[in-house]
Amino acid sequence: MAVLDELTSAGGAGRGGAVAVAEPGTAADRRRTRPGLLVAPALILLLAFFVYPVLTMVWRSLTDPTPGLGNFVWFFTEPANLRVLARTFTTSLWVTVIALLLSYPYAYAMTAVGRRGKAVLTLLVLVPFWTSLMVRTFAWQVLLQDTGVVNRVLGSVGLGPLALIRTETGVIIGMTQVLMPFLVLPLYAVMSGIDLRLVRAARSLGARPLIAFTRVYLPLSMPGVVAGTLMVFILSLGFYITPALLGSPTDALISQQIFTQVSGLLRWGRGGAMGVVLLVATLVLVGLVALALRRTTPGQRAGGAP
Amino acid sequence: MPEARRPRPVLGAVAAFAVLTLGASACAGSGPSGPDIDLGAGPGQVGTVKSGALKGLNMTFVSYGGIYQKGQQDAATDRFAAESGANVVQDGPTDYAKLKAQVESNNVSWDVVDTGSVWADAQCDKLLQPLDYSIIDKSKIPNGLATKCSVPAMQYGYVLAYNKTKFGGNPPTGWKDFFDTAKFPGKRAINGDPTNPEPGPYEAALLADGVAPDKLYPLDTARAERVLSAARPALVFWKTGAESQQLLESGEVDMAMLWSGRAYGAIKNGAPYEVQWNQFFPVMDSLTVPKGVKSPKAAMALINYYLGAAQQAKLTELTTYSPVNTDAKPQLDELTSSFITTTKARQEQAVPVDATWWAANQDALLTHWSAWLGS
Repeated sequence: MAVLDELTSAGGAGRGGAVAVAEPGTAADRRRTRPGLLVAPALILLLAFFVYPVLTMVWRSLTDPTPGLGNFVWFFTEPANLRVLARTFTTSLWVTVIALLLSYPYAYAMTAVGRRGKAVLTLLVLVPFWTSLMVRTFAWQVLLQDTGVVNRVLGSVGLGPLALIRTETGVIIGMTQVLMPFLVLPLYAVMSGIDLRLVRAARSLGARPLIAFTRVYLPLSMPGVVAGTLMVFILSLGFYITPALLGSPTDALISQQIFTQVSGLLRWGRGGAMGVVLLVATLVLVGLVALALRRTTPGQRAGGAP
Repeated sequence: MPEARRPRPVLGAVAAFAVLTLGASACAGSGPSGPDIDLGAGPGQVGTVKSGALKGLNMTFVSYGGIYQKGQQDAATDRFAAESGANVVQDGPTDYAKLKAQVESNNVSWDVVDTGSVWADAQCDKLLQPLDYSIIDKSKIPNGLATKCSVPAMQYGYVLAYNKTKFGGNPPTGWKDFFDTAKFPGKRAINGDPTNPEPGPYEAALLADGVAPDKLYPLDTARAERVLSAARPALVFWKTGAESQQLLESGEVDMAMLWSGRAYGAIKNGAPYEVQWNQFFPVMDSLTVPKGVKSPKAAMALINYYLGAAQQAKLTELTTYSPVNTDAKPQLDELTSSFITTTKARQEQAVPVDATWWAANQDALLTHWSAWLGS
């Protein structure tokens, strides 16, 4: 009972706090008079550096070299293109799943250890995050090569050498490491806001640890999971440098094929069409996820509300 | 919420955006045309430029960066700038898509561009303009290397390097052995850049299959791909020159087909490899001038200066690439001079490639090559 009391009062305090933030009074009113102006810089930036290029790409895909759907017909009639598109999605899925499996316990550990431990764990995520993508990818190249550290260690215990570099495995390892911060950080942000007393309450009411985790903790951490996995998945779809350097041409992803068209063949229409296909496929997928989430969220709310 | 006010900032943003883009395109359209340039009377003399002729003119030289472009800068463009009075800045790396964007938008800021020679031939009169041989003196360029739209920037070789600790007693003698994985077991590296099918892999595969060096063209790509596919389990693909060198230095491959400059770099760094010069392919970079440069005459003058004997000798000393002026006498150590591809002895070992045929068939070859790599 004591636990429950604590919970309700904590919830109440939380709600009270939220209300106070939402009604800061007249200062906010003044700020609200011209909210549009505050958006303008970002909007201009988006128009100039996102909307305009995307529209140019779409336009090119429909007009270069001749007006019509030729570039899209080419994309969908060339079996190699569809293979690459499918490979891009499966590789991204692997990266997302593995990154989630690694990041979830890591982010949880960040919330569970003491202050010094948390600083160390945070640093371990942030230092690579701040390091140049090229540097990290080259580091993986050195680590994963046949005569590299990983294979030497594996060899010393009688395993390997394994083919790591210039394989899909190598690409997935590299991309997972590069993209993990995008999962760890949102997960940590959400997890650090979860009241662990809820889990304790579940335990005190007789839930076994696994049940307490799946029924209480996991649903509460879902916003972080969704935000992080979406970010990682979408970033993977357009990843260029890491797969280009760690993979073999046989494992090329769509971004590399786009580069081939744009920079090697100077066929910008085809490159544009590939970009449009990737964009549309991504939007459809994200839309489906959002739809699925909307369908499941109300149920969770009913079950998860204190 | 002040709903009615919302559209205004949006309109403002759109207007600002329009101003931005219009401003940018206005700048692009109305660049000042180059000043009247007086390069002096008579045809150009290679390696020279009239003193102060280009005073105050801004020019951009574009190449592939690294030690190579630094060498070009020290050997040629800086000295050209000092003598002509032009202000030459370096940019890079060469990016065909960027060049195309500049030409198409009629806003060309790259005056002289170092490109692949096949690409230069393929883009002649498209993205590149014909060179003016009344300004560029081509009398010292080796036979046939100066074309309508390009002159060579330097020469090098596409060579076979092998691990001498592994094959030292019985080294591979040419491309036949390179593709013979039974007689010479082990991994071999070849170019796997799908955007860049250069003369090289197809030719090597055909030579290995018994095609005579003078019967290579037109290339039988299907036949070449059969040879390549048969060796594929042993092949390691490199995508950049640096990677090919790294593969030798880490000892990951037992043989490699790579650019001579990269083989040199690896051997110089102590990698236990040797080059089999028999059947090597002489290749080169090209100097080109995009269509629509603000001052074509100045670009031609820079190229003419670049080709001078002293400049070429210095370039070779700095980069180990071979000179493209027959009078150039670089001072080199033994290892470096063994990498000079323009000597008589080396030329006898060379299998010439047909860059003109490549240029004419580049699109088809690129499609073939990237499809084979991706299969």
